[in-house]
Amino acid sequence: MNGEHATREVFWNVSQVWVMYVLLIPTMLVAGYGIYRRFRTWRRGRPEQRFDQPWVRIQFLFRHAVVQQATWQKRFAGFFHALIFWGMVNLTVATTVVLVHHDFGLPIMQGQFYLWFQSLTVDIFGALTILGLSLAAVRRWTSPSMPLVHSWEASMILILLLTILFSGFLLEGWRIAATNDPWGMWSPFGYVIAMASLSWMSIPAMQWTHAVTWWFHMGLVFGFLAWAPYTKLLHPLTAVLNLYTAPLSPIGGSLHAIDFDKNESLGVNALSSFTWKDLLDLDACTECGRCTAVCPANAVGKLLSPRDLILDLRHLSRTQDDFSKPIIDATPALSPEALWACTTCGACVESCPVSIAQMPKIVDMRRHLAMEEAVLPDTMEKAIGSLEARGHPYAGTQFSRLDWMKGLEVPQRADIQECDVLLWVGCGGALVERNQRVTRAMAQLLDKAGVNYAVLGREERCTGDPARRMGNEFLFQKLAGENIATLQRYQVKTVVTACPHCFNTLRNEYPELGGNFEVLHHSQFLERLVSEGKLSPKAQSEAKVTFHDPCYLGRQNNIFDAPRQLVQISVRPASVEMEKSREKSFCCGGGGGMSFVDEPANQRVNQERARQVLETGADVVAVGCPFCMTMLEDGVNAVRSSDPSTRPTKVLDVAELLWDSVRDQSTTF
Amino acid sequence: MISPAKGLTHLMNILVCLKQILDPELPSRDFRIDAAGRDADRNTAGLVMNIFCANALETALQFREKHGGKITVITFGVPSAEEILRKALALRVDSAVLIRSDLSQRPNPWCIARVLAAAIRKLGDFDLVLTGRESGDWGDGQTGALLAEELGRPCVSLADELKADTVNTALVRIRRQTDQGWEALEASTPLVITVTNNEHNVPRIAKTRDVMQAFRQPLTTWSLAELGVDAQSISEDLACTEVVELAIPIKQTHCEWVTGETLDDRISLLAKRIATVVQSA
Ligand code: SF4
Ligand code: SF4
Repeated sequence: MNGEHATREVFWNVSQVWVMYVLLIPTMLVAGYGIYRRFRTWRRGRPEQRFDQPWVRIQFLFRHAVVQQATWQKRFAGFFHALIFWGMVNLTVATTVVLVHHDFGLPIMQGQFYLWFQSLTVDIFGALTILGLSLAAVRRWTSPSMPLVHSWEASMILILLLTILFSGFLLEGWRIAATNDPWGMWSPFGYVIAMASLSWMSIPAMQWTHAVTWWFHMGLVFGFLAWAPYTKLLHPLTAVLNLYTAPLSPIGGSLHAIDFDKNESLGVNALSSFTWKDLLDLDACTECGRCTAVCPANAVGKLLSPRDLILDLRHLSRTQDDFSKPIIDATPALSPEALWACTTCGACVESCPVSIAQMPKIVDMRRHLAMEEAVLPDTMEKAIGSLEARGHPYAGTQFSRLDWMKGLEVPQRADIQECDVLLWVGCGGALVERNQRVTRAMAQLLDKAGVNYAVLGREERCTGDPARRMGNEFLFQKLAGENIATLQRYQVKTVVTACPHCFNTLRNEYPELGGNFEVLHHSQFLERLVSEGKLSPKAQSEAKVTFHDPCYLGRQNNIFDAPRQLVQISVRPASVEMEKSREKSFCCGGGGGMSFVDEPANQRVNQERARQVLETGADVVAVGCPFCMTMLEDGVNAVRSSDPSTRPTKVLDVAELLWDSVRDQSTTF
Repeated sequence: MISPAKGLTHLMNILVCLKQILDPELPSRDFRIDAAGRDADRNTAGLVMNIFCANALETALQFREKHGGKITVITFGVPSAEEILRKALALRVDSAVLIRSDLSQRPNPWCIARVLAAAIRKLGDFDLVLTGRESGDWGDGQTGALLAEELGRPCVSLADELKADTVNTALVRIRRQTDQGWEALEASTPLVITVTNNEHNVPRIAKTRDVMQAFRQPLTTWSLAELGVDAQSISEDLACTEVVELAIPIKQTHCEWVTGETLDDRISLLAKRIATVVQSA
C-alpha cells in the first residue's frame, strides 16, 4: 500500500471535545501559578549577573541538558533518566504535531512523516519511556541503600506517568483494531494490543471502553500537567534555567567576594541574603542525591549532607514567608556542626547534574558564623588568630619562613634585581616539616633546570585560602591585599607553587582583587621543564605509584594530566589509578580549614582515603599538595597501626619523585 | 556601656590595663638579643597583646555582659601599641587610652605603675582595675601590685573568676588561684585585681563588623607631660632595677654509652653513673 495518504483521525471516537479545551484553561492556570510562585521567590534574592556570554552558556546548556553528562556519571540512573527524558521529549513533539495538524489546520501529520515519526518512532519511544519508568520504579522501591528521598510524591509521579502511558497504548490499540487501521502495523506496540483485544473484545465494546479510557487518560494528563510544577518535576524547567545561568568559572573560582565598603550582610543567615541564583538553585534540585553520595564528610558519618542542605533550604523557601528569619540551625542539615564539617572539596558541585552550587552556600553560611557571630570551632579559631597575628595558620610552629632553605642557595626576591619566576612556597611548604622536603626538592629542581627564580621569604603571607574557606572573608581580603601589593611591587609575572590552594587563590581569586599573574602549579611547570629538555629524568625506580588528585588542582581547576605525566616520567612501572580519581577523586580531608581541626577518631576523612590508597597495592601514593601530604601520611599511618599487615605505602610529592629521578644517585622507596 | 542587670543600680566602672609584647610564638631560632645584651631584639617578631592581659579583658567583658558596666582599656607604650587598643575596641570596650612612651629606655614595673596611676587619677574613679598577672615578655608580675600601691587600693592577685554581689553593689566575689587550690574572696571596691588564665577566660575573637568599626573609633592619646608625671620620679623608678645581662640559654645534650659485659653489669654501672651525675648537679 502506498503511504502517501497515511494519517489518522484526530479525536476518533471522542465526542464533546470542547470539554477538553475548556478543561485546558484551569490546567494551565494552576500550572502557571505553580511556576509563577517559584519565579516570585527567586526575585526575592539579591542581584547577581548571570546572563553574560550567551554563546558559552548555550554550549554549556547543550552539554548538560541534552547530553546530560553529569547524569550519566551514575550509569544505571543515567540510563533510565535518558529513556524517560527522551521519551518525554518525543511525546511532547508528537503532541505538538497533533496540535499543529488539527488545531492550526496545517496538515503535517500524514504520509511518510506520519508513518515513520508519528507512528513508529513515537510508539517505540513510548515503550522505552515505560521501560525507563519501570526501571526507576524498581530502583526506588527495591534498593534500601539509595541516596534518594523516599517520598510519596516521587512514587506518585512514577505511578501516574506509567498509568498515562499504559492507557495511551490501550487507546492506540483499540483505535487500530476498531477502525481496522491499514497503517496499524507502523505502531508495533499498539498493533500487538489491537490484535490481542480483537481476540476477546467486540468492536462496540472497544469503542465504549476507548471513549471512557480516553477521558480518563485526558484527565490524568491534565491533572499531571497542573500538578507537575508543584513537584520535583518542576526540574525540567528549573534545570534548564539553572544550567543556562550556571557559574562559568571553574569550581575553584566560584566564591564571590564581599564588598565591605557597601556594608552588605557579612555572609548568609537568611534566605533574603542569598542571590536570586542561589534561590533558583534550590528549586532546580532533582533530589537525586548524587551530591551526598560523593560527599567525603557524609561518607565518614558526619552530619553534613549537601542534598539535605539544599532540600531543607528549599523547604524553608517554600514554607516561610519571612525571608529574613535565621536559617542556620533551622534543621540538622543546616546546623553549624554540619556546616563546619565541609572540606570545600567541591565534589558535590561537580556531581550535580543541574549545576547547583552547594559548597559556596556552605561557605556563605560559614561567613555568617565566622564574621557576624565570631564563633568557630576552637582549633579553627586558633588558626584564624595566627593568621591575623602572624600571616600563617600554623599556631605554635617553631619554624620561620626561611628554615626550609637551610644549606641551599635560594635567592630571595628582595636581594636580587629581577627574576623570571616567583616560587610561591606557601605556609605548608615553609612551616610544616614534611613539606619542607618538598619545597627543597622543588628549589633544587629549579636550580638544576637553570630557572631564574626567587622566593618572597619573610615577605610572603598566607594567600588567605584557609581564612576564606573558614568564612573569614575580611581576613582573606586583607591577606590577599598585602600579597598582591608585594607581588606588584616586585613586578612579578609568573608564579609557581606546589600548593593547589595557593594556586587556586592566586589564579582564580586574586584577579577580582586586582592581582593578575600567570599562575602555575609546580606539576605544570616541572612538566614543561622536562618537555623543554631542561630536566632529564631517568626513571629508575620500580615503585608502583598511584596519584591522588588534590581537589583544588583536579576537580576545581581541571588539571589532571600534568601531575600524572610527571609520575610517569619519574618511575618505570605504569602508575595505577584509584577507583575514585580525577573529577571523582575523594578528598584527603584537609581542605576548607579542616586540616586545623581534630576530627572525631571514627570520622576521619583522611583514613577513608588512605584505605582507598591502600586498596591499590601501590608502593607510593603521589600527591601534589601539602595538605594531602600530611593528611594522607597520617591516614596511612593510622590505618597501618590498626592493621600492621597493610602495605607500608609512602606518600611522596610529584616533585620529590621527579627529583629522585633527576639527581644522580638512584633511590629506593 | 551596658545597663546594669536587674536589681543592680550601680554600674561598675572597669579599667583594664593592657600591654603589647613581642609575639611569644616567635620561633626560638628567630629570637635575638640586642647588641648591648640587655633586651630582646624585635627582629622579625610580630607584636601582640599579652595573653594575661587578654584574659583580664575577657574577664571584664564577661563581667559586663552579666552585670552591666563600662570598660576602659589603657596601655603605656610605643605608638604601635595602638593596635592592641583597636583590638580591644573591636571587642566593644567603651573607650581606650594610649599613653605614649617617649622614654629612651624600657620602662620597668615601678615606672609603668606610676604612669598608669597618674592616668587613672586623671580619668576619674574606677571601681575595678584589672591587669594581667604578668607579661609574657619579662614576666615580672609586679605591675598590678605596684599599681595598687600607687593608688592606695587593695589588690587581689591571680584571680580567675569575678562576679558581682547581687545585694551589695560595692562588693565583688573573686576566685583566686593558689598553690593548694582556690580561694574564694569577697572584696569591696575600689580594687585592683590581677588576672590569670583558666578555661573560662580564653579570649574571644572579634566580630568582623566590630573590627571594621574599631578603626573609626576615637582614641585618647596622652603624653607623659600631659599626665604631669615628673621626669625626676620616673628616672628614680628606672634606676631601681638594672638588667645586667640577658642571654639565650645554650642547650647542650651529651650522650654517653654505658658498656659492660652482662646486662647486670650495665645496670649497676648505669646506676652508679646516675648517682654521680645527680650528686655533682
Ligand atoms: S564541598 Fe565536599 S565536603 Fe563540602 S558538602 Fe560538598 S562534597 Fe561535602
Ligand atoms: S543538589 Fe544536585 S546532586 Fe544534589 S540532590 Fe539536588 S540535583 Fe542531585
